Amino acid sequence: MKGLMNYFPGDTFLHRMDPRSKIVFSLLVCIACFVTNNIYVLLGILVLDLLIGVFGGIFTQALRLLKGLLKIALFLFILQALVMRAGTPAFYIGKLAITWEGLKTALMGVLRLIDITLPLALMISLTRMSDLSNALVSRWHVPYKYAFAITSTIRFIPVFTSDLRSIMEAQTARGVEFDTKNFFKKASLIVPLCVPLLISSVKKIETAAMAVELRGFNLRTKDSSSKVSQFHLPDYLLLLLGIGLIVLAVLI
Amino acid sequence: MIQMKEFTFQYDTGKKPALKNIDLEIHDGDFVGIIGNSGAGKSTLTYAINGIVPHYYPGDFYGSVLVDGMDTVDTAPEQLAVKVGSVFQDVDAQMVATYVEDELLFGMENFGVPKDEIEARLTEALQKTGIPDLRFREIDSLSGGQKQKVAVAAIIALRPDIIVLDEPTGELDPESSDQIFQMLKFLNETYGTTIIVVEQKVGLLCGYAKRLVLLEQGEIILEGPVREVLKNADRMEEIGIHVPRVVSLYKELVQRDLFRGEAPIGLEEAETMVREVLS
Amino acid sequence: MIRFEKVSFSYMEEGSTLQDLSFTIEKGSITALVGANGAGKTTLAKLIRGLIHPTAGRILFEEEDISKCKASTLAARMGYLFQNPDRQICKNTVGEELDFTLERTVQDPIERQRLKDDVLNALQLDPADEPFLLSRGERQKVALASALVHRPQLLILDEPTTGLDYKECTQIMEYVQALNRQGVTVVMVCHDMEIVLDYADHVIVMHSGKITADGKTRQILQDPTALTSSALLPPQIIGLAARLMADGYSGFEGICTVDAMATQIEAARKAVTA
Repeated sequence: MKGLMNYFPGDTFLHRMDPRSKIVFSLLVCIACFVTNNIYVLLGILVLDLLIGVFGGIFTQALRLLKGLLKIALFLFILQALVMRAGTPAFYIGKLAITWEGLKTALMGVLRLIDITLPLALMISLTRMSDLSNALVSRWHVPYKYAFAITSTIRFIPVFTSDLRSIMEAQTARGVEFDTKNFFKKASLIVPLCVPLLISSVKKIETAAMAVELRGFNLRTKDSSSKVSQFHLPDYLLLLLGIGLIVLAVLI
Repeated sequence: MIQMKEFTFQYDTGKKPALKNIDLEIHDGDFVGIIGNSGAGKSTLTYAINGIVPHYYPGDFYGSVLVDGMDTVDTAPEQLAVKVGSVFQDVDAQMVATYVEDELLFGMENFGVPKDEIEARLTEALQKTGIPDLRFREIDSLSGGQKQKVAVAAIIALRPDIIVLDEPTGELDPESSDQIFQMLKFLNETYGTTIIVVEQKVGLLCGYAKRLVLLEQGEIILEGPVREVLKNADRMEEIGIHVPRVVSLYKELVQRDLFRGEAPIGLEEAETMVREVLS
Repeated sequence: MIRFEKVSFSYMEEGSTLQDLSFTIEKGSITALVGANGAGKTTLAKLIRGLIHPTAGRILFEEEDISKCKASTLAARMGYLFQNPDRQICKNTVGEELDFTLERTVQDPIERQRLKDDVLNALQLDPADEPFLLSRGERQKVALASALVHRPQLLILDEPTTGLDYKECTQIMEYVQALNRQGVTVVMVCHDMEIVLDYADHVIVMHSGKITADGKTRQILQDPTALTSSALLPPQIIGLAARLMADGYSGFEGICTVDAMATQIEAARKAVTA
């Protein structure tokens, strides 16, 4: 199951960049989106986002993400356009006036949403979880235990998902109606499902904790990582681009 | 070397001792198979060697367990871990990384292996376990047998003298199980690594281990070189151990006074045995 | 009882597929599904149970198309033991665990009690035990008990002996065999060829999503190509008999058990000395 936030392996210059610069760049783009009031800047950033997809070799993934976001965007667009009352009417729905200003604000809001979500999601798709956690621990001195907790959680999600699926199958085989279409009925069946999941998770976590401890988890320090992330020219250029975007956003 | 003297252990949660009066010596370079019914104390025996007992699971601990002269009670599990590498039953749960390479790095980085040595050790560990081609693979995409090998490789990278494995072939088919044991044999013969393995598949185990330890209700019933232990096939069957069928045949032939030699291990030796009887 | 008609199956995400399978499982038989890891045995077992549906072809259970039935309503007629007992155990005591199955499958309370007592006796389980405090083997027995307590017509077992010691393993298999004699049809996924030899009367060999052999147990296990092509080894005595026959000794045809082998060796020995 390849979904949001999954790493897409590759060897492009974006893959090889320091995780920190990718994260910071995403944040800079966010700031630029909030600062600007110019629709062309927002459109430019959208193009830039898609370029990240192209250069990272994950263009189809970027488009899929965009498609998903557009669904939410459409909903927000309609909502915003309906709510905004001031300005010159563009057209009427019955007696309700939709104004030009409303449409513009709605469009800006939607573009902002997309522009903010895309870079971070794409950058994470281009960064190995372990590299990110290494960089956070060794460079930004995030305590290793927190970083480990987060990466482990993400690692265990597919394990638990498949556990959950087989538990549901097992209970269906015993006559529990997980195959019902009635949502409320399904929800009431959650107990026979939670208990086995909880038990198997607790067991897994216990083993994991022992195994990790025997492999020196407690000895780890911020300098333990053998892969040291380092800024190179592309990293500086990327950050410069991010700052450039903010300047642009402020000026126009 | 591992020395257990009058070792008895009862879990805090247990009603009776998990292990009773264990006297056992395991020498460097040995390949020991631990067999017995469930609840016989096999896992606890491995826990006593890697320090999980009493450090992780507390309980009443009598007697002593020494690993290379270090008393396991006084030694921190991490310190023991440099000597004793452990592979647990649930292979999925013990993995920490998404990629094979990172799985191997984890332990080495933690134990502070010098950074210029890491690459060499990494390739060496993958080489020794026969999986250099898996280095950049995603762990989720591997088969059960491959995952076991990765788990062992991650341990090998720490260069322990002893490796303890708890039912490494539990969920594997016969061919993959055999591959795991071939790998263990290679490590044992080529690098002198001491191997201690809990295994249900007695027939498979006999083909590779040098010694067997048979546990029943927390006590050692039989212990010695594989062939010596197999001489007691009767006793083993009584307890409910899955004695290889050729060994049952051997026992049957001895009872019928047709054969006087050693117990056969594997089909080839069984064939020799029958040919001898018929010559 | 079960008939596969040109059944194919593929998971959406993964490449694991079954291709164009046609076979029948006879009423009253114990059929073993064997093959290497990843050959598709568990997938096949789930198809039979109706937990997943074929992408092509159809599966008939007592002449009824399974994909037209709801999997949960089939529970009364089919029992399924999962590889990992912890997937299905969900109650605080062994007794409640059995009730959980019975409530959904058997109407008559007196009958329920009778079935429950029967299975508790046969597998030596204590209804007051808490399943999660039991050993792996005991939990497996609890899971098995709850899969068959209502006496389904068909019992599907996915590696019933994994994680069990030999003693528990024989206990479970003896009980399954006893149920089979009372008319329960059994399908089991199994890695241990000795168990297959001892208990199954039919064997279906699978390899990469295809059936490579299908027939009577002894016939399949004695056919060297049927097993080796799927990376399986024959049971030891059969393997030994094959070796001896290859050496030119006669009289070892069809020998499968230790006793038969010893007796044959004794007879051959007498012939040699005489």
